[in-house]
Amino acid sequence: MPFREKTAWIAVVSMTLIYANYFWGILSMPHGGSNFSGLLGTVIALVVVQVTLTIVAAIFSPSDAKAPRDEREQLIGLRASRVAYSGLATGVACACFFGAMTPPVVFNANSLLFILVTTEIMRCSFLIIQYRRGA
Amino acid sequence: MARIRNEIRRLRFEHGEMTQQELAEKIRVTRQTVNAIEQGKYSPSLEAAFRIAEVFALPLESVFHYDKDA
Repeated sequence: MPFREKTAWIAVVSMTLIYANYFWGILSMPHGGSNFSGLLGTVIALVVVQVTLTIVAAIFSPSDAKAPRDEREQLIGLRASRVAYSGLATGVACACFFGAMTPPVVFNANSLLFILVTTEIMRCSFLIIQYRRGA
Repeated sequence: MARIRNEIRRLRFEHGEMTQQELAEKIRVTRQTVNAIEQGKYSPSLEAAFRIAEVFALPLESVFHYDKDA
């Protein structure tokens, strides 16, 4: 498995688990409640987990980790970003649409964060799919 | 629809049973990229194609074939 596919797996699994825990906590809170300390803890946990696992992955394949992305990997990254951008644009458009409805649905910062996290998971998932296909 | 075929796998074996990893290091791509090129799943850039041909000391047309009607 190429190093970049490993880091994509690390990102997908860690973001899904850690942010699922965070958003579950948000949904459990009274409407309009905020959880800044929870968000801070989530970000710190995500950084620690991803950095640690990426370092472990790099230790097991040092030459692969040090090598710059070749042309195919760059193309795979660009394709994944294009898919993610479509998801991000759709999510933001939905946020604007619901915001314009009467009575307006309040899309607060957590909703926008959810859209961003979902988009990033989509991007990493698409990376994995392309690497698996050998494209 | 155009399709590009290649003789890389055969040429590797004819050149001292070169491995995909060895070829990848010579042309500065990953082994997975070499595998994808051999299987026809990825078309290399012009520069990479020329580097591959240079490794085997052959003209480009001897390594890659363009089938316009494939």
